[in-house]
Amino acid sequence: MIKPFERRRRITVQRIKKKKSPFIYKSYSKKPKHTWLKKRKAAERRFRNAGLISILIAALFLVSLVFNIVSSGYSAFTGTQIKLSITFQTDLVENDAYRKIIQNALLDVFPDVKTRKEKRALFVLTSRNAVYELRDLVAQDPELIGTKKDIWLPAASAVSIFYKQRLLEESQRIGKINGDQAKWITLLAQSQRMKVKFNMPFFQNGDSREAEQAGIFASTVGSFFTILVCIMLAFPLGVATAIYLEEFAPKNWITSVIEININNLAAVPSIIFGLLGLSIYLNFFGMPRSSSLVGGMVLALLILPVIVISTRNALQAVPQSIRDAAIALGATPTQVVFHHTLIYALPGVMTGVILGVARAFGETAPLLMIGMVAFIADAPKNFTDPATTLPIQVYLWANNPELGFVEKTAAAIMVLLGFMILINLLAVYVRKRYEIKW
Amino acid sequence: MNTKKKTIDTHTDNDKSEIRMKTQSLSVFYNNEQALFDVSLDIYNNRVTALIGPSGCGKSTFMRCLNRMNDYVEGCRITGKVRLDGFNIYKDNVDTILLRQKVGMVFQKPNPFPKSIFENVAYGPKIHKLTSNKDELEALVVKSLKRVGLWEEVADRLSSPGTSLSGGQQQRLCIARAIATEPEVILMDEPCSALDPIATARIEELIAELEQRYTIVIITHSMQQAERVSDQTAFFHMGKIIESGNTEKIFNDPDNQKTKDYIGGKFG
Repeated sequence: MIKPFERRRRITVQRIKKKKSPFIYKSYSKKPKHTWLKKRKAAERRFRNAGLISILIAALFLVSLVFNIVSSGYSAFTGTQIKLSITFQTDLVENDAYRKIIQNALLDVFPDVKTRKEKRALFVLTSRNAVYELRDLVAQDPELIGTKKDIWLPAASAVSIFYKQRLLEESQRIGKINGDQAKWITLLAQSQRMKVKFNMPFFQNGDSREAEQAGIFASTVGSFFTILVCIMLAFPLGVATAIYLEEFAPKNWITSVIEININNLAAVPSIIFGLLGLSIYLNFFGMPRSSSLVGGMVLALLILPVIVISTRNALQAVPQSIRDAAIALGATPTQVVFHHTLIYALPGVMTGVILGVARAFGETAPLLMIGMVAFIADAPKNFTDPATTLPIQVYLWANNPELGFVEKTAAAIMVLLGFMILINLLAVYVRKRYEIKW
Repeated sequence: MNTKKKTIDTHTDNDKSEIRMKTQSLSVFYNNEQALFDVSLDIYNNRVTALIGPSGCGKSTFMRCLNRMNDYVEGCRITGKVRLDGFNIYKDNVDTILLRQKVGMVFQKPNPFPKSIFENVAYGPKIHKLTSNKDELEALVVKSLKRVGLWEEVADRLSSPGTSLSGGQQQRLCIARAIATEPEVILMDEPCSALDPIATARIEELIAELEQRYTIVIITHSMQQAERVSDQTAFFHMGKIIESGNTEKIFNDPDNQKTKDYIGGKFG
């Protein structure tokens, strides 16, 4: 009697449960009733996982790129200096023989260096630019002449790299230092005559034949001059073109041909613009070669379609009802554009312009064509001075096999990426801060 | 020039039998497609004229002819005459800017500018230079806002954006913006279609008040609304006016079978 009663009760409980939760995926019977639902959910999961995996792969690439650049470039932000007791002998100073002064100081530290070969190896421990630093010191303070003083002088880049890597395992070290030099550097380090200092020359100097003296200042200034010219030309031209095409131009075949061409221009390889600049600006108009003026003009051509397209998109995003409202109030078409449409589209326009500028900032190929790939030691003072830009500086250094320039290249890339991130953050900020939601 | 002057600066008397606007065999073509066929309609002074009819019948096209908004529509061609106070507004020497100051418009979807409430109302007077100094402008803005009953609601936040208001408030703001330029005729293109019943009732009240001062043309899809607010009604179908006349007559005793069917809800 009990058994059937119990069984029946169990069944009723099951039924109640089933009724209570019809949307919870749980099969009470042993038959898999919901296989289709299972399949659908599995497909959903598969798709999500595929997306996740692709993002992870992309992130992996990015991380390895950044790690590669940072690990080979961070050391360029520091430089090594050697302390030497310099005797400013009057006759040597008067003869401008500072090299001799430094050589004497080095020989004072290592008196047992005798042979020509050894001497030659010893004398390249300090940078060749140490001579100029000494000369500047004397020029600033003539009372130094005839005295003896401890002075920190820049080390050669190979020395610097060796010194900075001294804590690493032997096998991980890179560089061309012979046994004697390694010994001397270790001795100097032990006698507290070597120190690592923030590498100011990297941010103050232009290009140099000596890796330890090469800097990004001149190329950064060149970049800013070029970008300035580029913005001054491309912004008004691009925005005006977009406004005309979007708000005033009649819709006929001429305007559609123009439209198609502008869209195509955005896809033209950038080096073509460089060739255009070469043949028109330089050869036809005879403008100054490798100047930031011409560079900016070429880059303006390059980003003009970008600005036109983004401005048109921003203008299109302003609803027609706003234009109607302004027209119905009696505003002229020009007033509609300048009081309303353009104002409301401005965040989008600015975002487009900033992203265009970011592209121009990183552009290299067209500038090679107009001769901006030059050895520029001094920052340009005006728009017609020979100049180079940051990405071209990277290109120039990357071509230089000397070890000191390898880390400079990576460091310059880091600075370039830093500027890029700043520009893009600015674009994000402008969009978030001023965007109008319709 | 003379004609224009007369068109703009005319009477303020409230003779309800007087014809304020008039269209004469008005036809509109979009490229080669004809949207309006020989429409002739009289719009009486200080009265509400309702335009009813199924979607796509040409009501909006007709309305946009009254303040020449169709000028900006690509491929739009107009024949016939539209007279405001007896002067054809499609004559070459008519200044559309001044015309639109006198014939204001309110749209289907509330479309305040994304500027402050004050700027929204002040924009019309500013571009028409209706006021000579800031105090006058402020007074005009306050007057316009009071006239649409929005003043009490927004007095303490005139500088907040017009888009922050509720839908009904936005639409009243748009009406305030339209009357700030001191128009004579106000065109309303389905002003309540995007609003809830309470906001709709508020707008309808407002229309009744505004009728004292302005001539109003209103498009509506709600038969009840047309019956409630309008004095005159015109029934559009397929780009033609099927029937027009007193609202009472149209709704209670229409001459045309189509009108009867439409009002009775048989099509549309």
